Formats: sequence, C-alpha cells, structure tokens
Amino acid sequence: MTKPTITAFDWVPPFAQGQVRDLRVRWALEEAGQPYDVRYLNQGAQKEPAHRARQPFGQVPTLEDGDLTLFESGAIVQYVAEKYGTLLPADPAARARAIEWMFAALNSVEPAIMDLSFVTTFEADKPWSAMRRPAVEERIHGRLKDLSARLGDRQWLDGDTFTAGDLLMVSVLRILIDQGFVESYDNLTAYMHRGIDRPAFQKALADQLAGFTGDAPAWYAEWAAKQKQGETA
Amino acid sequence: MPRPTITAFDRSPDGGRGLARDTRVRWALEEVGGRYDVTPVTFEALKQPEHLARNPFGQIPTFEAGDLALFETGSIVLHIALHHPGLLPDDDDGRARAITWMFAAVNTIEPSILEFFNAKMIEGDQAWTAERLPIVMDRARNRLRQLSAYLGDREWLEGAFSAGDLMMVSVLLRFRPAGLLDEFPVLAAYVARGEARPAYKRAFDAQLAFNTRSGS
Repeated sequence: MTKPTITAFDWVPPFAQGQVRDLRVRWALEEAGQPYDVRYLNQGAQKEPAHRARQPFGQVPTLEDGDLTLFESGAIVQYVAEKYGTLLPADPAARARAIEWMFAALNSVEPAIMDLSFVTTFEADKPWSAMRRPAVEERIHGRLKDLSARLGDRQWLDGDTFTAGDLLMVSVLRILIDQGFVESYDNLTAYMHRGIDRPAFQKALADQLAGFTGDAPAWYAEWAAKQKQGETA
Repeated sequence: MPRPTITAFDRSPDGGRGLARDTRVRWALEEVGGRYDVTPVTFEALKQPEHLARNPFGQIPTFEAGDLALFETGSIVLHIALHHPGLLPDDDDGRARAITWMFAAVNTIEPSILEFFNAKMIEGDQAWTAERLPIVMDRARNRLRQLSAYLGDREWLEGAFSAGDLMMVSVLLRFRPAGLLDEFPVLAAYVARGEARPAYKRAFDAQLAFNTRSGS
C-alpha cells in the first residue's frame, strides 16, 4: 500500500497554529493508523502554479496517494475513511448518517463560525466589526443550540460509535474553544473534549505544531500591528 | 431503494426560481430516474418538533426512504449518487475526485455567497453595509476567479458530468441574482450546460409547479 503525502504550511500566524485544516486529515490518518509524509509549503507557495495544480483555490491540505491527488479536507477525510475503513460504519444506513454529519459540520455549522473570524481577525481593523459581533454570535448560538438539542446525552452524534462525522464536527467546534460559545452547552463541551482527548487527535495536533519550523513572512509584522490597532480602536 | 419522500418549503421564498436546496435533491433524483414524493413544510413548522426530528437545524430538504432518514443536501445527493449509476465515475480515483468537488462546492464556494446574503439581506439596513458589501463581493469574486481558472475549457469539472458538477452548478446559480456569475463567462457557460440537462429542467419545472401550486 502506498504511503500518502499531505501538504501543510511551515508557518502560520499564532492564532492559526493548531487550527489549519491539515489537522483534520492528519487526525483521520492517525485514526486509521496510516503513516504519511508531509510536503511543507512556505507562505506564498500555496498560490504558486505547482500547488495550484494540486489545489485550485491555493489552500492546504491536499493528499496525494499513488496517482490520485485530492483537495478539500472534508473530501480527503471521506476518502481516508472509505479507504481504511475505520471512520465509517459498515451498516449502510449508519454510514449514510455519518456522511450526513460530515456535511452538516461543513455546510450548516462551520460557515456561521467562520463569520466570526472576519469580526475578530480579517476585518478586525474595520469600524463595523464591533457592531456586527452580536448578530454573528447570535447566528453561531443558533446552530450550537440546535446541535446541543440533537446530541442530547449521546456519546457521539449517531450513538456510541465515533465516525468521520464526529471528527469533522469536533474539528469545527474546536475553532471556538475557550471562547465561551461551546462552553455554554455542557453536553457539547463534553462531546468536543471527548474528541480532543482521543490519542489520534493529540498525535495529529502535536505533529501539526511541530511542523511550524519556518519563518514569518515579511508582511506579517505590519499586518499584526494593524490588527492590534483594530482591537484597541 | 424504496420511493423516497423529500421535504421542501411550503412556498419557497424565491417564488420558484429554483434556488431552494430541494432543487438539488430533485435534480439528483431526476438524473437517476427516481420518482419521489414531496412533503411541504411551512416556515412555522420548520422549527417544530416534527421537522426538527428530521433535521436538527430546522432546514429543508430532508430525505426519507424506508427506514433511512437523512438531512443535509450534500449528504443526500451523495447517498443517491452512491446507490444509482450515473452520477459518479466507476473507478475509485474518479469517484474520489468527483466527491472532492461536492465538498468544494459546499465548503469553499458556497460560504462566500452565504456571506453575501447575510451582508445584503440580514444586515442590509445597517449603516456599514454600503462600505462592507464590496469587500464581501470581492471575496466571492476571488473564489469564482479561481474556479474559472481551473475550469478553463473543460466541459465538466472532471471528465463526465458528476454529482460534483450537480452541486457546483447549484451553488453557482446562487451567485447569479447578485450579478456575480455573469462576470465570469466560463462559469456562466458551465452553469448554462448544467441547466440544459433534461434532468435539471424536470427538477426545475417540478419545483416551480410546486411553489406556484394553488391552495394550501
């Protein structure tokens, strides 16, 4: 069996360390017990033709496995789950529901959460960000409340078995960790931590963090100063 | 597969322009020749226990066939594609690439148009919207530019039409009312090829008839 190769960054700003989406793919590969290689990109290389050929949107991660190249972390997690048979139940209906939660994490929950990153990071220096914040937070709570109600006292989203759906949902919830959102819901907090506590996640996280050996690009210092200004304005 | 039942808005807020997400599921079912029933759900009923049991986020569409109940459009389309010939390539690698584009449609492209809708509709009356909207639109354009560069002179994203195209065309259709789709002729032509498919036309006509039906 071939050993897959993923792509990851050799440097990202501190706020993104431990959150870059190759973490989701590393986690899936660790759950499968599948060793992999990492091709590290420095900042800027993701927009170069060599990487664009792997990833049309200039993002990480990608996965190369033999002749196959894949991008989009959700699709890669799905591929890893199918190929190694560890993260999707064998029963067809349970399998379909696990895939349902993968899409729910990425299309129903994550967009609301990503909106917060515009408020706190990408548009932090804009005058409207502080004013937008309550509505953005309300939309996040709308999703978390619904998710909490469905989870109830289940261990995982579809019962007792951890699936690729949980892997992505926990990854999405963890974007918000320690900011008081998930922590407003006891069952979601416990669920998120059950995922984070899995040895495969811990190994994946440690490996991502260990990969940040590159230097910050020249633009970073100026950008960070502007962000700070926005926070105090 | 037993004959499925899907849910749709009792009356779609777009008045039948085909942008509600049940159109994607109708389209997938039409591509594989499957017949289906439709249960309307009113806005009030979306957040009531009966529908929340189908979809915890109180959204449409949902899909029920025999003992299986699914929500989340992407997962429903993938389920249909995995269980019928016609929407995914036969070889493993081709299938993985097609599925990649389904995820790209919902997680890389669609969030930028959702953001635009939030900015325009939900925050439309706010003082900052006039200044912020161009920034949001430029983020959406950036994604469309990248997708257009990839598509180039390809007919479909990967060889033959697949569930990846079905999802991508459906997502791109949402950019059209904002005028963004037509800024990218390559993408506009790609969407037009999708709309020209007989299965899409049947799905579109079915949702239009449903949303403009008399009574109830």
